Amino acid sequence: MKGVSRWTLLATLLGAASCHDIEHSRRTDDPAVGGRTIALQVCSNCHGANGVSVSPAFPKLAGQQKEYLVNQLMDFRAHRRSDPNAQRYMWGFTHLSDAQIGQLATYFSSRPPPAGGPGDPVLVDNGRAIFRSGVPDRGVPACSACHGAQGEGAGEFPRLAGQHADYIVKQLVVFQHAEQRPRGEVMNAICVKLTAQEMRSVAAFLEASAPRVAIPADLGATETGSAGE
Amino acid sequence: MTHIVAVRRLLQRAWILAIGAIGLLHAPCAPALPIFARQTGQSCVACHAGGQFPELTPYGRMFKLNGYTFGERTVPLAVMATLDMTKTRVNHDTSGNIISPKDGLPIFDAASIFLAGKITDRIGAFTQFTYSNYDHQGSDGRWIGHWASDNMDFRYVDRIVGDADDLILGTTLHNNPSVQDVWNSSPAWSYPYVSSSTSPVAAPQFLPIMEGALAQQVVGAGGYTYWNRTIYAELSLYSTADGIWSFMSKGSKAGDTNHPQTWLRGQNPYWRLALTHDWGPHSVMLGTFGINAQVYPNDANANPIFTQGVTRYRDIGFDAQYQYLLEPNTITAQARYIRENISDPQNLVYGDSKAANLGSLRLKLSYVYQARYGISLSFFNVTGSRDSVAYPGSANFSPATQGWTPEIFWIPVQNFRFGLQYTHFTKYLGARTNYDGLGRNASDNDTLFVYLWAAYW
Repeated sequence: MKGVSRWTLLATLLGAASCHDIEHSRRTDDPAVGGRTIALQVCSNCHGANGVSVSPAFPKLAGQQKEYLVNQLMDFRAHRRSDPNAQRYMWGFTHLSDAQIGQLATYFSSRPPPAGGPGDPVLVDNGRAIFRSGVPDRGVPACSACHGAQGEGAGEFPRLAGQHADYIVKQLVVFQHAEQRPRGEVMNAICVKLTAQEMRSVAAFLEASAPRVAIPADLGATETGSAGE
Repeated sequence: MTHIVAVRRLLQRAWILAIGAIGLLHAPCAPALPIFARQTGQSCVACHAGGQFPELTPYGRMFKLNGYTFGERTVPLAVMATLDMTKTRVNHDTSGNIISPKDGLPIFDAASIFLAGKITDRIGAFTQFTYSNYDHQGSDGRWIGHWASDNMDFRYVDRIVGDADDLILGTTLHNNPSVQDVWNSSPAWSYPYVSSSTSPVAAPQFLPIMEGALAQQVVGAGGYTYWNRTIYAELSLYSTADGIWSFMSKGSKAGDTNHPQTWLRGQNPYWRLALTHDWGPHSVMLGTFGINAQVYPNDANANPIFTQGVTRYRDIGFDAQYQYLLEPNTITAQARYIRENISDPQNLVYGDSKAANLGSLRLKLSYVYQARYGISLSFFNVTGSRDSVAYPGSANFSPATQGWTPEIFWIPVQNFRFGLQYTHFTKYLGARTNYDGLGRNASDNDTLFVYLWAAYW
């Protein structure tokens, strides 16, 4: 009976632990549950509670364009996006409703975008040139034409500033196989013309780039510069 | 010449295993633990570092600490099997007696059935039952198989998470101290992940009680907390898995000399503290744990004696784990040292003194490329006080055993692993040479172990 009383005590403590601004609903596979619950209880395990992932294996979602996020989640759900990591990590989320996808996209797009970090100066300089001017002699357009002057993205074109360099390089390689990310077809024509070194450069530049006003996940508002300057 | 014949025979048997492997490859492709993959829709590498089950990634640890509840409820069944072959360097003692009975023969070693997964939004379970095909030999020499409870862990979990705080509060009910742990440096899920079940000399014979002696003998109830993915703390209490808990120790019972039940006096505490930090693709843990266990003696017929007092084992362990996880590279390193102090006032186990100690060090480093090709190297070193009653197989009555285990493995599909492991002993029961006083050397126990390990739907 001693064991039973221990369990009762623990259950009581757990039941009592509730507060207004925190999330502890566990009904994560229920279509009626709000996107914020799913973001905190599920997505945060890889992407961070504020959408700033620690591991470069997982993209930062904070400040990402809402339309882009909706498109990706729709594609994961329908198994249209079929790059290896999409299959490994994201294909299980078939139970998300349209409403939840919208709420998730709103949640992460409204998080403060990630601050940039230091990068190899040579790579960053080369990457800046490619980002702003493209590689004209091979017909590679400037990345900034679609992704914004500061890499902030626009609509269906994702924010790239502050993203993990390793993630960007791997996605550029994925785009070389157009069928894996059908919505990225426009990127396919560009990526097949880029060398591995150019991909690394532009990724290093973007990882180091920060929005004019970046708010690091846990520190509140901080004024930072931009590697793009 | 005989050497060449032996090698050829070994290669032939390896072929048989390989053909078996190909057969298994045609089985439906679902990852290990297939239930969890089905439940989350994610693949093995999401939770297992470089696909090397049972090593967990940071996400795999969160999955377990959240009570196996991520995803949607699914059919809670999966199976697992091992086919393997053990080859001992010198497989006969000085009198010519065989040491490892199935030596050099490919065997269907064991099969497990799992009942696991999400039960409710806060409750989940991992339970395993295992059949050992070559469990022991009857008086006529025939092999007898045996079903038994294997690792089990039931959890009730709540997670309170906000923008700046993340608190997991959980309770666990399980049957093996440290089976509930999420780092592969603690004993239950540590290296070697698979090893010879038929050879009596393929591993150190004496280890601290934390390293397996209480597995599937006890029931443990505990509570844990993990705060901001930084500090983990747990307290559990263990008692004998009898009465309503006997399903956790199924296969062991009083009076069964092949599978005696271990009896604990009262509640035996276990504690665990760990500090963790992740940065970029790196993840590190520094931890400590301990147990205080009071064990009743069994008589010659494997019946417990409750009237003669107990032997008390007090283990304190320190462990660390480092992981680098970024495609296509996975590097993992684990280190653990356990110091055990034993008090045996009635000389139930030890004969030369009323106190004894054991020390056990285990180091392991792995590299996996593309979650497909792996190599690892492990070092182990057991030290301890001498005793003529506890360690009669040693000429100098010492438990000290030391050696290295290199291993290569291949994961052709994510739920399947083929491995080649070699354990080389530099010391066995107290000496490098003539450890038993009858002329046997430590390296005579060197063991080659080839395995196929697969898990299915």
